[in-house]
Formats: sequence, structure tokens, C-alpha cells
Amino acid sequence: MSARWSRLKSWLRSTLGRRRLEQDMDEEVRFHIEARADDLVREGVVPNEAIRRARLEFGAVASHKDAMRTSLGLRWLDDLWCDLRYAARILRKSPGFTAIAVGSLALAIGANTTIFSIANEILYERLGVPHPEQLRLFTLTGDKNVAVHSSWGNWDRLPDGRTTFNSFTYPIYQQLKKDNRVLQDIFAFKDLGHANVTVDGDAQAVQLELVSGNFYEQMKVNPAIGRAILPADDSAPGAGAVAIISDGFWQRSFGRSPNVIGKVINVNTIPVTIIGVNPRGFTGAKSVQSSPEVFMPLSMISLLRADSLGGPYLSNTRLFWVQIMARTKPEVPIAQAQTALNLAVSAAVRATMTLKKDDTMPVLTLDDGSRGLNFAARQFAKPVYVLLALVGFVLLLACANIANLMLARASARQREMSVRLALGAGRSRILRQVLTESLMISFMGGAAGVFFYFMGRSTVPRLFINAWERPDLNLSFHWQVFSFTAAVTILTGILFGLIPAWSSSKAEVGTALKEAGKTATKHRKAWSGKAIVAFQVALSTMLVVGSALFIRTLINLNSIDPGFRADHLLLFDINPPSKQYPAPKDVALHARIEEALRSVPGVQSVTLTDNPLVASDTSTSGFNIQGAPKVERKRGDNSGSVSLADVGHDFLSVMGIPVIAGRAFAPQDVNSPQRVAVVNQTLVRQLFPHDNPIGRRFSLDDNPEKQEWIEIVGIVGDTRYSNLKDEAPALHFDLYNQLQEIGGATYTIRTQMPPEAITPSLRAAVQKIDRDLPLMDIRTQQQQIDATTQQERVFASLTAGFGLLALALACVGIYGIMAYTVSQRTNEIGIRLALGAERGQVRSMVLREATWLALFGVLAGLAAALGLAQLVKSMLYGLKAADPLSFAGAGSLLLAIAIIAAWIPAMRASRVEPMEALRHE
Amino acid sequence: MAKQVDLMQGTLDMLILKAVSLGKLHGYGVLLRIQQISGEQLVIQQGSLYPALYRLEHEGSIKSEWGESDNNRRAKYYTLTPAGRKQLIAETEKWNRMAGIIGAILSLTTNNWTEAEAEVQS
Repeated sequence: MSARWSRLKSWLRSTLGRRRLEQDMDEEVRFHIEARADDLVREGVVPNEAIRRARLEFGAVASHKDAMRTSLGLRWLDDLWCDLRYAARILRKSPGFTAIAVGSLALAIGANTTIFSIANEILYERLGVPHPEQLRLFTLTGDKNVAVHSSWGNWDRLPDGRTTFNSFTYPIYQQLKKDNRVLQDIFAFKDLGHANVTVDGDAQAVQLELVSGNFYEQMKVNPAIGRAILPADDSAPGAGAVAIISDGFWQRSFGRSPNVIGKVINVNTIPVTIIGVNPRGFTGAKSVQSSPEVFMPLSMISLLRADSLGGPYLSNTRLFWVQIMARTKPEVPIAQAQTALNLAVSAAVRATMTLKKDDTMPVLTLDDGSRGLNFAARQFAKPVYVLLALVGFVLLLACANIANLMLARASARQREMSVRLALGAGRSRILRQVLTESLMISFMGGAAGVFFYFMGRSTVPRLFINAWERPDLNLSFHWQVFSFTAAVTILTGILFGLIPAWSSSKAEVGTALKEAGKTATKHRKAWSGKAIVAFQVALSTMLVVGSALFIRTLINLNSIDPGFRADHLLLFDINPPSKQYPAPKDVALHARIEEALRSVPGVQSVTLTDNPLVASDTSTSGFNIQGAPKVERKRGDNSGSVSLADVGHDFLSVMGIPVIAGRAFAPQDVNSPQRVAVVNQTLVRQLFPHDNPIGRRFSLDDNPEKQEWIEIVGIVGDTRYSNLKDEAPALHFDLYNQLQEIGGATYTIRTQMPPEAITPSLRAAVQKIDRDLPLMDIRTQQQQIDATTQQERVFASLTAGFGLLALALACVGIYGIMAYTVSQRTNEIGIRLALGAERGQVRSMVLREATWLALFGVLAGLAAALGLAQLVKSMLYGLKAADPLSFAGAGSLLLAIAIIAAWIPAMRASRVEPMEALRHE
Repeated sequence: MAKQVDLMQGTLDMLILKAVSLGKLHGYGVLLRIQQISGEQLVIQQGSLYPALYRLEHEGSIKSEWGESDNNRRAKYYTLTPAGRKQLIAETEKWNRMAGIIGAILSLTTNNWTEAEAEVQS
């Protein structure tokens, strides 16, 4: 048994049985003294004298007992306890200071924790599978002649003009899987987006992900109940009409009933058996933040969707559509695997596709797949970093504020510290005491901050999603978040405590005791306090400039006239499965639904479009004017293409888009063989600069053999198209009834009724036609528009909050430092007044000092803001990064606040009575 | 009264261990025994005995229990633990070596310098 063990045991025993220990110590000492006294009496000393001498010989009982406690390792605990009690008493004595310090810190720490947890979730969180770091996502990069002519999936354009995407044809995937020796088994998945699922007669839209048969095995995930999708389920098209559902869907639609296994649901009208439920926290391969509700074998795509243009998806050699991933093999370096697989991709492309003359090979890279396709990080990385920086500033500001307050208090407590030093306290002891106080404040702030975080964590994710979507982003209190908060709390405590602690412990015993209250000249000691206040003002200026920029951006966006009437419009999507409604049945279905909705009570008018306005959707095509010389265009050259939307014949009147010339669509156009369109003013300006377009015809297809002529019947006013920021593009509206195929469409209904009141009857009308068709994404047109300005609104509201907090803190800081200087200079001011200074002069002296201080901070803050604003230039709209209004406004606001905050101390200074001030000590 | 010497730094622990090794003692008893053995030549600040006792107990060299004193009073008695006994043996040995070496150095004359050096190395 080691001495360490014995020490620990003894320490625990004495800590836990503290009262007992103290009694024992007393008794032991008493016994000693009495026994000694007895001996002395036996030697012939008088009893009273014996006791006195025994005590004397023993020495100072209290200090020996202290040494005994030190022997047991209790000393630091006692000191800590003592410091804590003392700190608590000090803080309780000045409730105003404590409230401001703890409150501001709590807001700052709460905001930091929340933003950090969002950042953590969006930027760093990995898929909920064992060893996510092994996952590699296959990514292709190609130049503009790359041999990928049709793709279904996301792609990004790189700065050098090349494009990068992560879709593959199914045959290429098969070949890679077969030839692969350098990675573990390759698996595939495809996010199908919305699918129509009917559970017990209730149609709803859910997210659907298709996965290859080896997906679960390679992801190393076992369903919470039931079984995984196996290779046999994916062996042939339609072989496995089975599904695994997400934990969330299980909860929402089945109440976590274990009887869900074996239940049959309809997915796009196909009966599918549920075989398992995913464990909570498993989100599939697409994204970390949210899970698709239903997972099905990849080969089911043949039943779920109508064949692609080039034939069935699984045998289509031209369409790049599946995403593939694999885990690394520990023994194969990643560079080696990448080289080998890149060759394999080229071989597979050559083996499965017929290449044209100019076609180039895509280049494979094995990207980090630990966060899935990682859309969120790509989309939100910049705003999240900007937010992190902003809350960081807020925290710094709160720290500066508390440091400043504590510094002022430290000077006020100079005398106390001198007394303690004079009584024999070591400097380290005083340093520790003051640090204990600041850490106590920071811990209270941290605890309250965590409380704010828990209150805010259900609302904050709402800022990042559309109003009509389910908040899937779950901010859980991860250990990373906890350690972040703990670290921030301790760091801030040390940060704002260190300077005051240092200055306290430096107190000179003699001078401070003598000097107290007697200095008649300007105090040089307030210098560090003033520097901190100037720093605070600079930080506040930066934050206020930031919020002004973002608020102005939002105001600019909100004042944009979209070109149509967005009020009282209800939108929802209907997505007929292409298998049940192959073209042209889908067009006929939409016509029936449109007609049925028109007679629903409360509906004023109905229309639909395949491309809702201001919803971040675009569709473009070529535009070939009949009789005009044909334009030769290369692939990837979009110069001649224009935007379009296929709409119902009432579209213009429902949306309130004005007809400038010609006519709108008429009901008789619907069945007319002559296709008609209306064009917007921008299109006329760009493509018919000199002649009247009405009566002219155009074709969407560049290929002369496939040209179908569409007649322009009217010119309509410009509207915003995919978002609010961009001016109207050249745009034409075509009549959907005259198309062969439309697929999913967004219905637009003008009604005076609130959305939730009319939705049930709309749903009933649609389900009378097809009970498996759900109404998806029910929202108002205004919500739809707001969704495109989501980020701007988040930024405007968050930065406005930060700005307000910053202003309040700056106010407190300036007031604090000025009040402190005035109280320190009471004597000086008294002398000035006695010597004949006007009260107004004294007041303006104080105000002038505060103004200089603020001016210095404001200028520094504006300079810093000017630099930082360049970084967020791309997030602003309708104003320059160096927006004069925002900068001038923020600067003058801060100055005004500074003067207001200094007003009370200035008044107090001017009211000093010379006699009192001079008599005072 | 004989001339008293102050206790050397670090030797109190050893004396306590030795005193307790002869049988269980309360704190005052330890004091008496040390004074008795030393022939009243050592001065021990009475109160400083206890921090040392507590430290030794904290480290596991001695253990304590409450018992009855000769005059039927409650007193805390200390006894040596096996670890303490080992420590005492080790310390005693160290002390003797140290004393030997230092004695040799202090009684050094020029001609047996090398001899003393050899002894230090052993």
C-alpha cells in the first residue's frame, strides 16, 4: 500500500468527517495541556499557574491547529472555502455590479454556446456511424468538355471554370465496385428528395433515400429493431419492396410501436414492407443534420420513378446520378487508392460509354465523406464563421466591461488590500482571492449562459430553416459544446480578473494606507481603465456598424417590389409519381386538380407553375426566334438562353402581374394546338430591341428538326424570378396545358382565408382525385419570399441583438469609468471650484474627457469595421461595404451614448460643494 | 539544568517514529519519552509535535486510536504501522551513514583525505 493511497484515504476521511476531526483536534490539544498541567502540579506548581505555564509551553493553539490541518492537506481546501465565502459576501454587497457582470457575461456566454453548437453541428459533426473518418466520398472534376453529358445531382463550379460533382452512372458504379482492391467494398446511395408516402390512408410527403444492398454492412450500422437492407434486397429491380424508417418517422407516425415491423406502407403508391427502424442518431449518408424518413434498396428506383430519357436508371450508361462512398483500408495509403481508382474510373467510362471526339475524362478524388455530402457546411460555412467572430467580439466586450468594473472596484478596495497585506497576507494569497472573485462571477455567468442556451436551442435552429419545415437540426448538448463553454467561462474569468488582481496585489502597504482619499491631482492610475473603456467603445462601434450593415441589407431587400402581389397567396406542391402518371398523364392530372380546387369554398382563384417565383428555383432553355439567323452555341455556353416558367392560364391574374401589351392567356388557349407564351419586358428589351414581339414565334430547342414554334401573345411586367436580389432576367411564361410533360408543380391559390383554415378542404379535394397524393410544403407566398432572405434576416436580428448588448455595455463602461474618475477627483474639483471655476466649466471638463475617450474608441472601431466589412461584402445587398450611412450612424450613436452615459457623473462633479470636498479627510 | 540543543530540521519525524516504536503513546507521552530518552537535552516546541504526528499519520507511518489514559481520561494513542517500521529502519540507517560520513569529514586530517573519499563513494 503506497503512501499516496494512504494520503488520499486520510484526506477523504478528514474532508468528509470534518466536524469530527475538529473535535478530535480540540480534545487532543486539551488533553496535552491538562496532562502537562497535572505534571506541573505534581512538581509543586499552583494549579492556576500550572495551567498558564502548560498553555505557554504549548504555544499558539490556533496556529498549531492550522499546521495540523496543513499536515492533512486541508489547507488549500480551507483557503478556497474561505475565498469563496469572502467572494460571495463581496458580490452580495454590491448587487448592482454583480447583476451587470453576471448578466452581461451570461448573455455573451449563452450566445457563444449557441452559435458554437450550431457551428459544431454544421461544420464539424460527423455521421452517426462507427469510424466516420474512414468514409471517402467519390468526387469527379471535369473541364467544360467532360464526358458527362447528363447528370442528376448537385454540382459546383470551381473558380478555374471546371465543375465538380459526385454523381456516377450505375454501370460505372458496378464496375468500380467489382474492380476495387484498394478500398473496402464500395457502396452507393441516392437522395430522392420528396416521396409520397401513405400510412394508414394518410398521405404525407417524406424524404426518401435509396441505398445499395451493402450500405448498412459498410456503414456498420444495425437497425434499432428489425433487420438491415441486405444485398439480396438490392439484387434485381423490384426484388426488395422493403423499407427502413428513421427514428424520427417511427416516433411521428407510428408512436414507437414495435409492431411497425412487417407493416405495409405505400411509397409513391407502391406497397412496401417496413423491415427495420434506424437507430437514433443515424442520418444516412447524405447529411449529418437531418435524416431522410425512409430508406429503400437502390434497385427500387425502377418502380419508384418512370424511366429516365436514356432508358432504365440502372442500365443507363449516360446519366450520372448515384453517389458512391467507401471506407478506407488501413493498409492502403489514400493517395495510392486515389490513383488506382482514378484509372478505374477512366477505364469504366471507356468501357460503358461511347465517347465523342472532344470529350475529356473526369478526374476522381476521394474526398472526406465523414460528413456525408456536406451541403450544410458548404452553404453555411461563411455565415457561421462570421457569426462566430461576432459573438466572439460580444464575449470580449463583456470581459472588457467586467474587467473595467473590477478595476474600478480594485482601486476602491486599495485600502482593504493594504490592510490585508499589512496583516501578513502574501501577494499570491491576494491574487488568489481576487481571481476567486472573478472566477465566481464567470461561473455564475457560465451557468446562466448555459441556461440561456437551453432556452434558445429550440428556437435558434428555426432561424436556419424555412417557416414551413420541420426543425430537424437538433442542437444536443455535446461534450464539445460543454468543454467549449467551460473553457470560455474559465478563460473569461481569468481574462477579466487578471488585471484587477494584479493591480490589487501590487498595492504598496504604506503608501496606499497613507494616500487613501488624499490625492488632489489627476489620478494616473485610471489609465488602464480608460484604455479598456476605449477598447470597449471600439468593439461596440464594430458591432453596431455590423448590425447597421445587415439591417440596411434586410431593409433594402424588404423594400424590393417583386413585380407581383405576394399577399393572400397560399402555395403548396403536388408531386405526382412519374411511374403512375407518365407524360402526358401528369399534365391531365394537374388540369383536373386545378379545376377541382377552383370550386373549393374560399378559393378566389387557382393557378399552378413548375417554377414558383422567388423560391430559389430556375429553369432555362434556348430561345430561337423564327426567321432570325441561327446562333451557333457551344456546350456550356448559356449566353442565348432565357428563363422560363410553365404556368396555368390564370397565372398572370392570380399573381397580379400586369399585361403591358397584347393579351394574357385565355381559357381557349388551353386546348388550342397553337402554343402561346407571354414574355417579360426585359426579354423584349434584350431580344426584340427594335421590333414588336407580339405575333413573333420562337422555339426552345436549338435543334432544327425538333423545333416547335410558340407564339408570343403578350408582354408582361418584370417580376423577380429566383430570388429578390437579382433583377428580372429575360423570362417567358408558357402554358403548361400545352406541354407533353410537367411533373411536379406548385399550386398558387388566392384566398382571404388563413392557410390553416382552408388547407383541410384543399387536401380533401386533391385526395378525392388520388388518395395517395399529399399536399407538400404548404406555405404562403410571403413565407416563400422570406425564405430566400432567411440568412439576411438571421443576420439582421442576431447582429441587432449583439449591437444592442454592445451599446448597453459601452454605456455601463463609460458611466463606470467617469463616475469613478469623478469620485477620485472630488478634492481636485473642490479646489478648482474654490479657486473660482464655474460649475459649467467643471461639467464640460468631465464631458470633454468622456468625449475624447469615446472619440478615440469610435475612430479605432470604425477603422477596424472598415476592414472587417470587406469580408462580409458578399452578404450585403444594395449598399457598399463602406456604407457611409451605417458608419456615420454607428459612430454618432456611440458618441451620443458616451455623452449621455457621462452626463450623470458630470452633473455630480459640477455639484461638488468645495467646503465639503476639502473637509472630506 | 543541562544545556539544551535545538532539534535539527527533519529529525522530529524520526524521533517520533522511534518513540512510538517502543509501544503505543499519546501525544504528550511522545513528548515525554523523547525528552526522557534524550536526557532532557532536546527542546521540542510542544505544539509543533502535533502537526508532525498528523503528517506521519496522513502518510500512513503511524496510526491512531482513542483510548483511556492512566488517569482514566480519553486520549488519542499512536502506534507504528508496518510501513512506519520500514521507514524507521530506513531512516535510521540513512542517519547512521550520514552521521558516519559527516563525522569522518569533520575529523579529517590532510593525510587521510583519499581514504574518506573512498568511504563516501561506498
